[in-house]
Amino acid sequence: MATRLTTAARRGIARPKVAHRARRAGREALTSAIPLLLPALAIYALFSLLPIFLTFWLSFTDSRGLNTSASFVGLSNYGRAAADPIVWQSLVHTFQWLLGHLLMAGGLGLILALAVSRLRLTRVVFRTAFFLPHLVSLAVVGVIWANIYDPFYGLLNTALDRLGLGALSQGWLSDPLLVLFSVNVASSWQGFGLYMLLFIAGLQNIDHSLYEAAEIDGANGWQQLWYVTLPGLAEVMTFVVSLAMINGLKGFATVFVMTNGGPFYQSELITTYIYRLAFSMQDHGLAAVLCVLLSTLAIGITVVFNHWRGRLAR
Amino acid sequence: MSRRRSELPAFAALLPALLLILGPFLWLLMSSLKSEAEIGQANPFALPKAPMWQNYADAWQIGGFGDLLVNSLFNLAGVVLLTLITCAPAGYVFAKLKFPGREWVFYLVIIGLTIPVQAIVIPLYQVLFNLGLINSLAGITLAQVSNGIPFGIFLMRSFFAGVPDELVEAARIDGASHTQILGRVMLPLATPALQALVIISALSTWNDFFLPLVILISPEVQTLPLGLVRFASTYSTDFRLVFSGTVITFLPVIILYILTQRRFTEGLTQGALKG
Repeated sequence: MATRLTTAARRGIARPKVAHRARRAGREALTSAIPLLLPALAIYALFSLLPIFLTFWLSFTDSRGLNTSASFVGLSNYGRAAADPIVWQSLVHTFQWLLGHLLMAGGLGLILALAVSRLRLTRVVFRTAFFLPHLVSLAVVGVIWANIYDPFYGLLNTALDRLGLGALSQGWLSDPLLVLFSVNVASSWQGFGLYMLLFIAGLQNIDHSLYEAAEIDGANGWQQLWYVTLPGLAEVMTFVVSLAMINGLKGFATVFVMTNGGPFYQSELITTYIYRLAFSMQDHGLAAVLCVLLSTLAIGITVVFNHWRGRLAR
Repeated sequence: MSRRRSELPAFAALLPALLLILGPFLWLLMSSLKSEAEIGQANPFALPKAPMWQNYADAWQIGGFGDLLVNSLFNLAGVVLLTLITCAPAGYVFAKLKFPGREWVFYLVIIGLTIPVQAIVIPLYQVLFNLGLINSLAGITLAQVSNGIPFGIFLMRSFFAGVPDELVEAARIDGASHTQILGRVMLPLATPALQALVIISALSTWNDFFLPLVILISPEVQTLPLGLVRFASTYSTDFRLVFSGTVITFLPVIILYILTQRRFTEGLTQGALKG
């Protein structure tokens, strides 16, 4: 009892001093922090943070463009969005797009990383060459692949013709069922290189002795892949999956350049619809609802994957 | 032993994959040197009879690629410089200084890491308009810098967090200010992180299309990807011009990449994994 009292008493004397010192240190740190933070925060607040909040506000107004008066309309834009079939179509297309990007670009990245990692002499050459498409702007990729898909002079149909496979030639960008996939192939051609590099980096981090141990245990190549390589890649894998999903969500340039959402909205994504609503139809309220939807999806994906990665790390 | 045996099958499997993936480049390069009549024969495997270098001169002149290139370079230099100037100090602060409200400010920065730029473009346009920065390279540069700041801060913060605190404390005891510590102790150590930041911000700026599309309206201020898209839709039936113009747009980056591929790859991978 007595000792407890004395400790408490001692603490009682010591604490204000410590707290005071900590507070002073905090204030000192703040005065040094402000000038170092200011340039970044000023630009960020004006051109990112303010627009984030204003987007949210816009979704509750009937704004129809710059310099027009906008008034609060409650949830009416949200109701209009729910009743707009193109909103639903663009949402479904965005999910198809995202999944396609994940499978094609992420999958190709993984397969090529596994193959390239088996090379020694020619490894850098292949890694460098496979990465080349990623250096091209998605808009330029759109121009390139619009020409590849050209029904009469494009690489794809003319090559199929010359190889005697003319029966397979298609209107790649005019067929409503095919168009989204065709454009996605172009985007994934540009996208896989980065995922491949990340997988290669992940493969380099796997402990070599694990393979030796597996070999001694008599594991064949497939078993080594399944029990050593893929579990060793788990962390990079979750990162690549989340990155590919976010990149898929942001998809815009190839669609805009190659089809502009057509034919009949069959390749319309949330992003291309936002652009159409905001900059050609001047319907800022409805566009802002889609912006809020897009942000919510992005945040949702990030939160889910951070949670997943946190569980993996444990 | 078994490793050496496995080189050949992988090599044999990768060769056709390489041909398929680089096919579009080879086709473009070949077609860009053909005459309009040769392209009309629709044989993708035929080599150009006599390489028409004239296509490049024509595209360069008609498309105004010289101006586009200069605009892109100004844009790139501005974004890279401003990103380094803003993100390195801010990353240092979040890694090494403890001040009241730090978590709160950091969360505000993190929000921007996840939100796609398309989702904030309407008010962003209004902000730039009110500042007279629509249709200007300064405007696009500021918007792109802001868009990249969360990633840049995150990257620099995770690098500086790995530098031992003792280094900062020792310099503090010697009477150095935080600005001096940043300039003389931290930045020289941070070369790999700064390199990663330069590569990532340069590549994303050079290739950006969405913000230029919204902000850069007149052709004189446009950057390469936007200029090429405009050029390709104006001369869409003039294939030789479209092909050579396209090659002009991506060739400089590809050459630069091949020359610096080791550093480039390292910076890109480490940057992406850390950020």
